[in-house]
Amino acid sequence: MKALMSLGALIGVAGLLLLGGMIFDVIPSTTVRLVEGYMPMQMLFELTCFVAGFAGLSYMMSVMGMPFPRFWQGIGFWAFILLYLKYRVYPPIPFSVRAMYGTVSLVAVFMWVSASEEDWKKFKQPIMNVLDAQTGLNRLLRYAYLVILPILIGGFSYNAMVPKSEEPIELRTVHPAPPASTKVHGKTYTLQTSQNPYRVNQEGKYDQEYTNANIVEQGMGRLMKPNANPWDDKNQGYLKYVREGGEIFFQNCHFCHGDNLNGRGLHAFAFNPIPANFTDPGTIAQLQETFIFWRVSKGGIGLPNEGFPWASVMPPWEQHLTVDEIWKVILFEYWHTGYYPRTWD
Amino acid sequence: MGLLTGKRVFSIVALCMMVGLLLLPIVIALPSPAIGEEAPAGDAAKKDGDKVEKGRDVYYKTEGIVVGAPAPKTTDGPKDYPRYNFESRVLIWFANQQHLYYGSFVLAVPIFCMIIEFMGVVTKDKALAKRYDQLAYDFIKISLTAYSLTAILGGILIFTFLTLYPAFFGYLSSIFRPVMHIYALMFVAESGTLYIYYYGWDKMKEGFLKWIHLSMSVVLNVIGTLLMFLANSWIGFMMSPAGVDEQGRYLGNIWHVIHTALWNPLNLHRILGNMAFGGGVVAAYAAYKFLSAKTDEDRAHYDWMGYIAMALGVAFLIPLPFAGYWLMREVYAYRQQMGITLMGGLLAWLFIIQATMIGILFLSSNYYLWQAMGRMRGAEKYQRYIKYLVFLLICGFLVFITPHTMVMSPAELKAMGGQQHPVLGNFGVMSAKNGGINVMITTTVLSFIWYMRGNKVSTVSWAKFGNIFMGVFFACAYVNIIWLAIYGYYIPANVRVGLSVPQVATTLSCLFFMFALNTVMMRGAKQMGPIEWGKISVRSQYALIMLATAFTWMMALMGYIRSSVRLFWHVNEIMRDNSPWAYTHTVGFAANMISFNVLFFWISILFVFWMGSLAAKKAPVTATAGIPGSVPQPAASH
Repeated sequence: MKALMSLGALIGVAGLLLLGGMIFDVIPSTTVRLVEGYMPMQMLFELTCFVAGFAGLSYMMSVMGMPFPRFWQGIGFWAFILLYLKYRVYPPIPFSVRAMYGTVSLVAVFMWVSASEEDWKKFKQPIMNVLDAQTGLNRLLRYAYLVILPILIGGFSYNAMVPKSEEPIELRTVHPAPPASTKVHGKTYTLQTSQNPYRVNQEGKYDQEYTNANIVEQGMGRLMKPNANPWDDKNQGYLKYVREGGEIFFQNCHFCHGDNLNGRGLHAFAFNPIPANFTDPGTIAQLQETFIFWRVSKGGIGLPNEGFPWASVMPPWEQHLTVDEIWKVILFEYWHTGYYPRTWD
Repeated sequence: MGLLTGKRVFSIVALCMMVGLLLLPIVIALPSPAIGEEAPAGDAAKKDGDKVEKGRDVYYKTEGIVVGAPAPKTTDGPKDYPRYNFESRVLIWFANQQHLYYGSFVLAVPIFCMIIEFMGVVTKDKALAKRYDQLAYDFIKISLTAYSLTAILGGILIFTFLTLYPAFFGYLSSIFRPVMHIYALMFVAESGTLYIYYYGWDKMKEGFLKWIHLSMSVVLNVIGTLLMFLANSWIGFMMSPAGVDEQGRYLGNIWHVIHTALWNPLNLHRILGNMAFGGGVVAAYAAYKFLSAKTDEDRAHYDWMGYIAMALGVAFLIPLPFAGYWLMREVYAYRQQMGITLMGGLLAWLFIIQATMIGILFLSSNYYLWQAMGRMRGAEKYQRYIKYLVFLLICGFLVFITPHTMVMSPAELKAMGGQQHPVLGNFGVMSAKNGGINVMITTTVLSFIWYMRGNKVSTVSWAKFGNIFMGVFFACAYVNIIWLAIYGYYIPANVRVGLSVPQVATTLSCLFFMFALNTVMMRGAKQMGPIEWGKISVRSQYALIMLATAFTWMMALMGYIRSSVRLFWHVNEIMRDNSPWAYTHTVGFAANMISFNVLFFWISILFVFWMGSLAAKKAPVTATAGIPGSVPQPAASH
């Protein structure tokens, strides 16, 4: 048990040193890389290691007769979470989300330190000591808080109320609800029921299972499946349509959406927000093909009221591409990212 | 003896009358298809020289004879939208919400009474049985005053509809005409049964008569549930209409009108929601009484009452997310754009608030259970591990509340390098959220099991093996839930939706198998000490109040979301809302309005509690006559 806790304590200390280095810019945040595609689990794993490390550290200090007061444990852990979110995770997390996480963490700390009566008493003790002010130091602290707290609260209030020249916060709807149907090149498509006519098997019949089996592999590398190379001239049907879709993509779309379809094309950083990242699981992987068909056809200008502010410069591609070309480019996007279009069966 | 026989006969007659009242509306409904649907159409056809107009059902796609008028095309003006100098929609919102709160409460509490009374009847320990009986009686007493308020609020709601939305209400009444009076009759049946059930409590407190009394509670709840199903059919029709053609003309099949795409998911969701809400309100009542109690006996009683109400509420809270998931799945299946508006579009931020409220419910429940361990000797051995449960809960919670659409300034957007964050973007979608909520529920189950064995030490010979098995089972459950959440990113969406089944199955396996195993292990267990009812921290009682407030707030929020998703339609895609208020409120306005409704409900329910306490003050006079009303002692076990 002691050995295990010692190991935990070691991890805790190492983690704290690393984080300290990142906060004071001695060590870059990327020293321990967050690996693309695995970042979410990596973050949770790191937090688990930290918790285990802190438990070990606390245990070891108790064993050595230097117990870390519960009050400072609570405050320290909360400060750690705030600093971790601010300095460890990159790209930077928006303040609104950090505020949510910070509040929840504060609740967690409260739940932890007040779970049992004994712990709660230990946690409260330093606060009660200052309020009771039985010693000179506590009396001094009490007066200090009496002055500092109103100043701090006033400062925060002033800061919140003072007019700023910053751009306002946007509550942008990334995926506005599509219409029930859309008219493209004179034909009406019902979004609930329409299908990509090029998502076909070797017999030329609509077959999502067949096409799903031929997309690139997900995960790092996004490797092509054996015998599923669209650029092999011998391949016909679905893979041929993917190839044609790819050609259309590289002639029209990749300048913004990038050759890896990750939204980082040549012109991408001229826009804010940058174009959609199709490799993110929150974009095309969440949507039906007909949704993409509608968005590509109508472009940013065709966004409904719900999509306000219409921060999209995508042109209405129906003015430049045929219906077949739009369907093929969508086919290519799913093939290249290794995602499956959403279905409701 | 003669009197007893007379009582028996009277009770059986009363029960038969209740069943009769329950069946009466069905009997009345039977001829209605002939009278209300086919016959007029037939007559009309004869008069018009066999010219029968047929329409196609917008949902069922079946053909039917048109027997109703098309949905009115309203215009903004005093004819269709008469108004006070105020936003009519807000008035309807308020009246509807208050009616729903009270309606939910009076439907949920009798179900509690039925369960608790049944527990009292089957419990062998007579003292405990009496206490359960007293508790059930306390519950129904609270609901009786609330019942009158429900009826009054229902009346106010109808008058508000008639006054402010006459065209819409006229259309809805014309569609539901065949069942309108059935609803009213069910209400009469519900009232009659409730009064007999309440006032017959003392007369039927023993033996065979008690079983008759218990049967009455079953009848009462069947009527209440049917009432709710009927009311649900109206909102189901407004969201996903069926039984009418594209113009909104009734096609003569009332079952199609009632049985819309969303009716059953709504029914299930509302039953569970009402129960959880009812449990929360009663628990808050008990907490309030606990905090204001002057004696140890009172504190002990209300501590026990709060615990029972919380346990019942949480029992129904646990399956609630799964029912909600089914409802949303059906919404997506019915109309993709409706689903996206709810969860990915216009109303997505309200869903984040909802996720936060769900999280608060689970956090409060767990916190209460941890605090409750403080009144048991021997539970200290679990308390030092609570921090790990907090960590698990919070990780699940953080993932569950991560928004898909983030609020940020353009500068932050630029710094992030795109709309999608590589870490948080993954938490913002369903696969991760399913994992998050299942982790939270499984942790709640674990907390409950720790609570159940808090002051006990298993004496079975295989106790060590049982404990290891239980630990491994939970560990595997967590691994499975998290693994499936990750795996969800690598499979098609339709398969991913199906992944929720093994995740839910894992959580429910923990619930049922581990509860069963724990019960077997704790049979004949060594008691480390009694449960010291009343010796619980006041923080626990604030947790109960928090639980109830979160329930109330969430109910109002979800009601608003469900209603708003129709956007500018009174009846989706059938009858357009042409009033000046056919727009979606801002998140801030909606939140303020919800808070106002919650505040009003709590102030009014405090009045109800106060009324209940007035009745209780008279109890000591009658207590000497043996009527349950004296201060009961809490149960000795959970």
